[in-house]
Amino acid sequence: MTGRRRSSNAFGSEDPVIRTGTVALVPPRFGDGVIGGAEAVLADVARGLAARDVPIEILTTCARDHFTWANEFPAGSTRTADGVVVRRFPTVLDASSVDRDRIGNRILAGETITIQDQQRWVNASLRCPGLWHHVFDHGHRYRALVFAPYMFWTTYAVSQIHSRRSVIMPCLHDEPPARLDIFRTMFEGAGALWFLTEPEQELALRLCNPPRRQEVVGAPVAVPASYDADGFRARFGLTEPFVYYAGRREWGKGWQDLLAAFAQFMLDRTVDGGGLRLVTSGVGVVEPPVGCEQAVIDLGLLSDSDRDGAMAAAAAYVQPSALESFSLTVLEAMAAGTPVVANGDGAVVSRHLERSGAGLVYHGLQELVECLHFVADRPDAARALAADGRRYVLANYEPSLVFDRMIESLDRWFPPDRAPAGQTAEQVGVG
Amino acid sequence: MMSVLLVTPFAPYRDGIATYAAQELRCLRADSHAVDVLSPLPSAAHHHLPLGGVRGAALLVKRAIRYERVIIQFGPELLFGRCRSAADRVGVWTSLAVLARASKLDLRLHEVEYGPLAQNPAERRAARLALRWADRVTVHTEPERNRLSELLGSVTDRIEVVEHGHNFVPAVTCTGSEAKTELGLPADEFVFLSIGFLQHHKGFDRAVEAFTVAGLPRAKLHVVGSGRVDHPDIGRYVSSLERICARTPAVELHNRYVSDDQFDLWLTAADAVVLPYREIWSSGVVERARLFEKPIIASDLEQLRHQLALGGGGVWFTAADVGEIAVAMEKVWSSAGYARSPDADSGAAPPAVDRRRPMHPLWDIDDEAPDRAAIQVQIAARARAAQDNEPQTLVASPAAGAPSDGERPSAGLRALGPLVIPEPVSARPGVTPVKQTVRRLTGWQLDPMNQRLAALQQATVDAVIEMETRLERLSEALDEPAT
Repeated sequence: MTGRRRSSNAFGSEDPVIRTGTVALVPPRFGDGVIGGAEAVLADVARGLAARDVPIEILTTCARDHFTWANEFPAGSTRTADGVVVRRFPTVLDASSVDRDRIGNRILAGETITIQDQQRWVNASLRCPGLWHHVFDHGHRYRALVFAPYMFWTTYAVSQIHSRRSVIMPCLHDEPPARLDIFRTMFEGAGALWFLTEPEQELALRLCNPPRRQEVVGAPVAVPASYDADGFRARFGLTEPFVYYAGRREWGKGWQDLLAAFAQFMLDRTVDGGGLRLVTSGVGVVEPPVGCEQAVIDLGLLSDSDRDGAMAAAAAYVQPSALESFSLTVLEAMAAGTPVVANGDGAVVSRHLERSGAGLVYHGLQELVECLHFVADRPDAARALAADGRRYVLANYEPSLVFDRMIESLDRWFPPDRAPAGQTAEQVGVG
Repeated sequence: MMSVLLVTPFAPYRDGIATYAAQELRCLRADSHAVDVLSPLPSAAHHHLPLGGVRGAALLVKRAIRYERVIIQFGPELLFGRCRSAADRVGVWTSLAVLARASKLDLRLHEVEYGPLAQNPAERRAARLALRWADRVTVHTEPERNRLSELLGSVTDRIEVVEHGHNFVPAVTCTGSEAKTELGLPADEFVFLSIGFLQHHKGFDRAVEAFTVAGLPRAKLHVVGSGRVDHPDIGRYVSSLERICARTPAVELHNRYVSDDQFDLWLTAADAVVLPYREIWSSGVVERARLFEKPIIASDLEQLRHQLALGGGGVWFTAADVGEIAVAMEKVWSSAGYARSPDADSGAAPPAVDRRRPMHPLWDIDDEAPDRAAIQVQIAARARAAQDNEPQTLVASPAAGAPSDGERPSAGLRALGPLVIPEPVSARPGVTPVKQTVRRLTGWQLDPMNQRLAALQQATVDAVIEMETRLERLSEALDEPAT
């Protein structure tokens, strides 16, 4: 694949630059049906950089599901419609789950964990030796290797092979594993760090002494030109106002908190009969509380256009997770002009909302209940809050801005080989 | 092209032998061999088996005979780490002998425990068979071959000495000044580097001491590395190294694990490498430093001397004590064109801090029969010398009439030593394995409690001292006449 673009900044001339060094992106999973924030970001980055003629390869596992890590995609190389080469390697999950669970629980409890146990723990979950050996054997051929998120073996083990050309996009949360020594040293030894937001960078600075090559690049948020909110409502038979949550329905994402608050909200609203529905899409078990079965509506996995429609149709988007390093869905809701109700314990989403003014934060379940009441009682005021959300997203996370920042930093840190004008990468024999 | 099984601790575990094995893996693959890796724990290796005891060794034999060649990166932890008895150890050696008979076996002896071999004739017999039947047995230094030969007799001709670094290739290719820039080091400062896992036998504290003695301007000593494992002894050593480095000007401790890239980046940036080991089998750092043609200052240990001589060229010094290390430091520093300013030498403008303190005598201790009273005397002398050289602390000096240090309320607390879990050893026959088993079974509960207790104790001491200081200041303020 030939990389070619005109550049006047990185090289100080208008000569055509042929990018001959391939950039590898290394997510733990990639492909249709993969749910995960970091995975989604890297998939977008792959498409975006490939469209700008940066030679891209995806190095990943054969897994689709992060609960089972079953090898669902075939191992080997394929090429996507965007021209991106995807190399898949089988996952291995044969270590003792006792190590994983016993040490994992101690980590979550904030206990001091020995280096040996930290290493046992990180090796007790999925591993992907094939990927490790591919990078060990061929890693020097890549201009840079971009890894995300920080906590997976694919990042921990593989990014340290050619650490000086590793760019880690940690997608860091303020959580006990982020304080483990194994990750601290991984961050400190990386060639460079890409952050999604300033609060994430600030957290990294508190946790370690990161490399000097670091930059807040953000992540691309695709902003549709228009939304079909009515069509969405009609397709799914939604006639009443609703709040929306999209993503993984699991404990770590605050899903149970949202359900509990929603149940309380429903109890409160039995007096006046008015209210909201809670509409959700994504993966994970929904398990609505008793009495709320009819009011909690699971749409499963939605197409991109239906998800856009849901974002626009919702009275508010709720983000109950405090552990967000970017929160793509919050920004998608903002872009759709929908107010956001978010867990104020999360620094990143709180910062988005402070800067855009496009929603409310809560501290504790009762405040979440009150936020839901506000949305139900004053939908117009809630909608008005969101007025500047779209502008905020476009000014900061419009994809071309993000891709330009990424390309500029890669060119600065890992200059691409330049071939004489008129020659392709194949002609110069690299890539 | 052969099918090869490489048996070794492996990445992403922090382990020197794992790093060595990765180099060999690269070379084998460059020679077009199909290499699988087998490690004792789940890792980036293709396979893992619970090595370290008889069962693991037997499973290894079963797995390994499918390969045309088997290379074992031999270390005590890898093969004997789970052995409970002398019979277990004999069983492991016997399995290796069986494997050597069934397949082409290469044994890379990184370290052999001489003690058990010396004590148990049965183990010696089994080891002799394994070494005799192995296709190739290598060590890195002549002294190690000689010691093994003394113990095992007729296997001398089976043991080859190979250069530790014969498989090594640089992980970075930048220049020294580029590496300094990347690490944020001043370009015009001479960089001494002590790098590797931080543990007592590496002796990096001696590098600090020698650097202080040398007192070289426009030079800095960087100590780079981390504890390989969490062990109370290593923790205590790292803490003490942190204190020593913190109070010593122009010395910086970078207490963190470094990847292979980072390791070589530091070596590229270094102007000289200082390795004042107290003991070592053979040193991978020596070989990596040689890759980058760096002057090496190393302890005068027999193995190191041999290793350095085996490597041929390059600038290297061996030093018998801290004083000699300091002299060698000054030599490499001055040969790089650095010089003391004439003013400093003439005494016209002495430096603000005189770093040329008198050299401590080496510890005068008989390791076989240490004299506690003599050690106490040495400790007190060293402490006084260190105190004389220490910068002022921020703690307020006691007011007149203030209680002496021993009378302070915190004295009792401070006198409490850290809680140390007794080593699981016993002079009584058979008790040590039992104690070790109990230790292993209870470690997961006891170690965190012990660490928490130590942290609590330290926090309590700090808090009480802080309170004492505040009270003394308050008392001083109250005693002062009102203005």
